[in-house]
Amino acid sequence: MNKKVWSLFLVLALVLSVFCGCSGGEAEQGGTETGGEAAIVVTDQKDRVIELDAPATRVVALTASDCEIIYALGAEETLVGRGEYCTYPAEVTEVTMVASGSETNLEQIIALAPQVVLMNEMDQTEEQVNALENAGIRVVVNDANNIEETYESIEIIGAIVGKDAEAKAMVDGMKSAFAEMEANKAAGEGKTVYFEVSPLEYGLWTAGANTFMDEVANMMGLTNIFGDVDGWVQVSEEQVLQRDPDYIVTIAMYFGEGMTPVEEILSRSGWTNVTAVKNNAILNLQNDELSRPGPRLVDGAQLLFDMITEE
Amino acid sequence: MKQDNAMLRVDDLTVRYGSHVTVDHVSFSVEPGQWLMIIGPNGAGKSTIINAISQGIKYEGNCYYEGRDLAKCKPRERARDLGVLSQNHFVGYDFTVEEVIRMGRYAYAPKMFSQERDKDGTALVEAAIEKTGMEPYLKQSVLTLSGGELQRTFLAQLFAQNPRLLLLDEPTNHLDLIYQKQTFALINEWLKEEGRAVVSVVHDLSLAKAYGTHAMLMQKGRVQAMGTIEDVMNPELLNATYNMDVYQWMGEMYSQWK
Amino acid sequence: MKRRADGFGITEYLVFTVITAAVFMVCTCVGSVNIALSDVIESLRLALNGGEIPAAIYGTYNILIRVRLPRVICVALVGAALSLAGGAMQGLLKNPLADGSTLGVSSGASLGAVIAIAFGIQIPGLAMGGTMVMAIAFAFLSLLLILSLAYKLDATLSTSTIILIGVIYSMFTSSLINLVITFAGEKVRNITFWTMGSLQGSTYTNALVMFGALLVFGGLILLKAGELNAFAVGEDNARNVGVDVKTVKMIVLISISALIGVCVSIGGTIGFVGLVTPHMTRMVVGPNHKKLLPASMFSGACFLMLSDLAARILLRPLDLPIGVITSFIGSLAFIAIFYSSRKGK
Repeated sequence: MNKKVWSLFLVLALVLSVFCGCSGGEAEQGGTETGGEAAIVVTDQKDRVIELDAPATRVVALTASDCEIIYALGAEETLVGRGEYCTYPAEVTEVTMVASGSETNLEQIIALAPQVVLMNEMDQTEEQVNALENAGIRVVVNDANNIEETYESIEIIGAIVGKDAEAKAMVDGMKSAFAEMEANKAAGEGKTVYFEVSPLEYGLWTAGANTFMDEVANMMGLTNIFGDVDGWVQVSEEQVLQRDPDYIVTIAMYFGEGMTPVEEILSRSGWTNVTAVKNNAILNLQNDELSRPGPRLVDGAQLLFDMITEE
Repeated sequence: MKQDNAMLRVDDLTVRYGSHVTVDHVSFSVEPGQWLMIIGPNGAGKSTIINAISQGIKYEGNCYYEGRDLAKCKPRERARDLGVLSQNHFVGYDFTVEEVIRMGRYAYAPKMFSQERDKDGTALVEAAIEKTGMEPYLKQSVLTLSGGELQRTFLAQLFAQNPRLLLLDEPTNHLDLIYQKQTFALINEWLKEEGRAVVSVVHDLSLAKAYGTHAMLMQKGRVQAMGTIEDVMNPELLNATYNMDVYQWMGEMYSQWK
Repeated sequence: MKRRADGFGITEYLVFTVITAAVFMVCTCVGSVNIALSDVIESLRLALNGGEIPAAIYGTYNILIRVRLPRVICVALVGAALSLAGGAMQGLLKNPLADGSTLGVSSGASLGAVIAIAFGIQIPGLAMGGTMVMAIAFAFLSLLLILSLAYKLDATLSTSTIILIGVIYSMFTSSLINLVITFAGEKVRNITFWTMGSLQGSTYTNALVMFGALLVFGGLILLKAGELNAFAVGEDNARNVGVDVKTVKMIVLISISALIGVCVSIGGTIGFVGLVTPHMTRMVVGPNHKKLLPASMFSGACFLMLSDLAARILLRPLDLPIGVITSFIGSLAFIAIFYSSRKGK
């Protein structure tokens, strides 16, 4: 039984990794340093050392979060190729798309002649990485699983595209914004939050411990009602009602038809008595703010913080 | 055409599988009291004729039972007149012998909300069981039966169905000698009652000669000869159709037993 | 000679009803959240008679009446429908390993549902309306396509033709599903969750639709139990004893696809129920469809209710996709059946 369940979770994790860009495995300390002779030496989050003679001018990013970081650093002109699921900001979709995930096509990538390919650990095999390296392309693996590691990712990418100062400023900005929320921890203390990843009609999925959502919630004093389970999991509707969250954050997307995700939650039979529903304390994060290890984690956190401090 | 008191009349029957013609413009008729033996070498289209008359395959031409076009008959009505014994008796599930025999009464089962009852059903089923000697096997699963027992089960189903014309496709195929004899004796007995007729495909020419009243000799989908059993079973015809000296061979075979 | 009753008698109905009712009660009382039996009874009483709901049990009333009860009812009805469809299919095709999905109708229905999700086809006011209508429509369309193809190839609709076309059609639809997913963009997530099969969020409306379908199409199948017996002995045999082979096949196949279409739209693809429960039921009551089909409905309902219960409580507070449980139990049982039937030969 267990084996079956785990293999199922593994399959799911593979699928989800495409969206949230997070994955298992403990990343060791990464770091950047700018060595002499203007050479750039970077240690990625898989402890691989990458050396560049000059900042990269042609980069392919396969993960959505890496694309976001490049844009946020103002280095979008270096991006010559992007993965299938890189969707933010909207302009990124105009960049040439390459197949990513399990369909990664090395020919497509090599044809774009990048100096650096940014990827996520789960998606590519070692053979593929070696093949790219042999073609003279540097591979950088980013694999942030928490906010601290996200800072590292930003600094690594900053170093690669020669935007160290911007990267540092961005990280400092995020740190201070989070610090402010943390300082007002009292606002959330004693309150509970439920993160909804998939709406009821497809089965309720939530983000448990070791997710960005959980980390952000804890930062502002909130208790994740499913903090006792790990990662993204399907949970029982009864349990949500039983645990009666004060706030609900749904990351369901609205495609312009039918009820919005918030309206849909408000309309659920049996949920009328849930505190969050009674108080209409439901936040819909449409753009993966809290599921990608990128600069917008702050934006998502700020929206949640604003909701809990509103009253 | 002579005065039509035929039970079964097959008119210009043609069956094609794609471009291959297996039965080629065949016409014949069967009258009460007759036992028509369809004989001929492998691939002559003998079984296909039975399949066509029983509406199991598409065909050109017409088959009439007492003047009614069988293709336009309701299946239930057809089954009350026409009894068919197919070659394949593989049963998928472990029905009991009794259950399979009782299915012969399907065509007489009262429709929903109808007041009529299948009055003769029980008597006919019991008679069929007795005639075929299946009494000891009634509660046994059909999956455990031997080939001969299975054949007798379906024969009992056929008798329970109480048709007036039997269409038998190689009724003694794969059967032991004793069951061959039993089966033919049973059918011969059944035929004695008035207004009944049999059409059967047989391989064994000796059996055909022993029990048939009439015969139809076929080759490559066409009728080579038709008439009384004596007319058709003559040396020249048989030898030409089977491409060997049938009479001499049969004679040699039987002389060994003398 | 003593005539054996070959229908499903009052005694049988009584026994099966009592067992199913007992399973139903257990599945209603036990769940992710524990509810005391007294509260269950009180909640049921209030739900039936109306009246003010005391604040003390409002929470449990909510969980029980608005969340758990509709789900258990849906699960029972879906189980009964899948099992009935599977049983009818196994009789019709004379193949104990056949399932409603052998026809390709399940995958056709899934294709419809996936299209509805990917392109946002919705019916205002009915949460899963678009998916349901599309699943049923595609189940019917698949059937029409499969049958017209089959008739083209082989007018007698032989078993092997149907199974072959079903397999090919399943492959065809699964490639179309993958194609739709490619165009679905960010909705891939929804499709992925949906295809795992979930009976979460079942409503009384779902239950009503399923009940209606079971009444109409299940009823049609049950009326053809006698004909299915003849088919189970052999298609030639059915024709020889006077069954209107084509018409009966048509009625049964259409009923099966309607039932499967509704089931898929409510619970996603739930494998093995239609394959294993009729098979195991046959081992108990025998192959006579007049008994087998009603008995399969009861045992299918029980099997799926218990599977769902396991899905709900095994890894509390997690909810497992129900397909994981049914496929796990189902494939083990399937191997056991296959092995023992081989050994018996």
